[in-house]
Amino acid sequence: MALRAPLLPEHLAAARDGLRRGGLLAGGHHHDERGAGEEAGSHHAVVESTVASARSFAAPDAQPLAALREATVILDDRAVLRRIDLELAAGITVLRGPNGSGKTTALRALAGLVPLARGSRDVPPDVLYLGHRPQLLHGLTARENLRFFRDFRGGGGREARIAAALDRWGLHADADRPVERMSAGQRRRAALARLDTEPCTVVLLDEPFAELDVAAAELLLHALREAPPTAAILVATHGHAEIDALAARLFEVGDGKVTPARQRP
Amino acid sequence: MLRRVLLVAGREARADRRQADGLVAAITFMAVLVLLLSLVVGPHVARERGVAPALFWVALLFAAVITAQRSFERELADDALDGVLALPGGRDALYAGKLLAIAGSLAAVALIGGLLQLVFLDLDVALPGHLAIAAALGVAALPPIVVLDVVLTLRLRARAALVPILALPVLLPQLVAGTNAVTAAIAGDEPTAVAWSLLILAFGVIYTVLGLTIVPTAIE
Repeated sequence: MALRAPLLPEHLAAARDGLRRGGLLAGGHHHDERGAGEEAGSHHAVVESTVASARSFAAPDAQPLAALREATVILDDRAVLRRIDLELAAGITVLRGPNGSGKTTALRALAGLVPLARGSRDVPPDVLYLGHRPQLLHGLTARENLRFFRDFRGGGGREARIAAALDRWGLHADADRPVERMSAGQRRRAALARLDTEPCTVVLLDEPFAELDVAAAELLLHALREAPPTAAILVATHGHAEIDALAARLFEVGDGKVTPARQRP
Repeated sequence: MLRRVLLVAGREARADRRQADGLVAAITFMAVLVLLLSLVVGPHVARERGVAPALFWVALLFAAVITAQRSFERELADDALDGVLALPGGRDALYAGKLLAIAGSLAAVALIGGLLQLVFLDLDVALPGHLAIAAALGVAALPPIVVLDVVLTLRLRARAALVPILALPVLLPQLVAGTNAVTAAIAGDEPTAVAWSLLILAFGVIYTVLGLTIVPTAIE
């Protein structure tokens, strides 16, 4: 199937500009300030058979920032995802489903970490994928890990931004400890600090509330609430009322399919 | 691209410095081998043609296998590998970065092992420059195939056993070339040392190109 809506350079540039101003947390935009495009998202589109599209629920002019089209993923001889269409426009999209339903696989497919047996993946290069586990290299400190990721993407203003992010996520005192000596919750917070230090158009968060204490969960919700409206954020979760409330679009994953659950009015 | 490769190599070297268990095991193995050779068979036998160089390369191969495996175990511990693969250009930079870092560790093992052999076995080297070049080429040529095998077996439970089984037969010609190049350099046989060194270089280039081609698509 041919791609219907290629990524528009000007759209990506706008998204990057918003994020480069200070990452997700320091973006300074409130979720409620979303553009007219998303306000008009109450157009409930017709969903054909089992194929669901996040864009179906958004405004007609909402360009997808990332997409899986007709995507099938086979793992261990089992089709975990079957011909799904998943298009991410700006705003928060929640992917909800029980364990083993394919949420993680959908995120990993978007991040390019699992091959598609069929279909296509249309994703900009600046994707930030934070998986189940914190993706921090043992032997390095939290600061060194953040520095590596930021340098890899070629971000500027490195040290000040990293220090601010570590401070914000409550890791100031532990920033220079090797990550393997930190608690699971601290490692998770260090991973989430990447939201502040890496400018990305598309953010994929897999169970981001796992292992977080109440304060850190609040911080994450705050980060998502304050995210620039130009960023497309996909959150996979078992079910989290607060993130559901923030979401512009909500999808259920199960039986290899992605089906729309609701659209924010 | 080069900047990204250097970043991966630097990250690896820093982690290796802080978690030096693989490197320490490799150096210990090399030291024990040299001491054993010196004490059990004696310097006279050890200096016989090819004995010391052959053991030097076997110890270095062991070092390559354990440092490469240790490196990727660290990557798997908290899914750090996913973090790199999901970065733009991460797949391409990973293999070359790992090669650089592991070659750096091997160079340290080779230097210490070489010095130990010179001292304990009382070796007289006729062509020290050629010896250094042969050793450097061997150090650079071992990691490509070892890292490739580690990557190909990354998601297999038996990878610790599989890597040496897969790597050793392929590396055998390289070990023979390395042993002959070093032996010739010690003995002062320049043409032979150069010829075997060029063979090591050819192996290194072929496997590096192979790894750079295969790894970005094969790694999961």
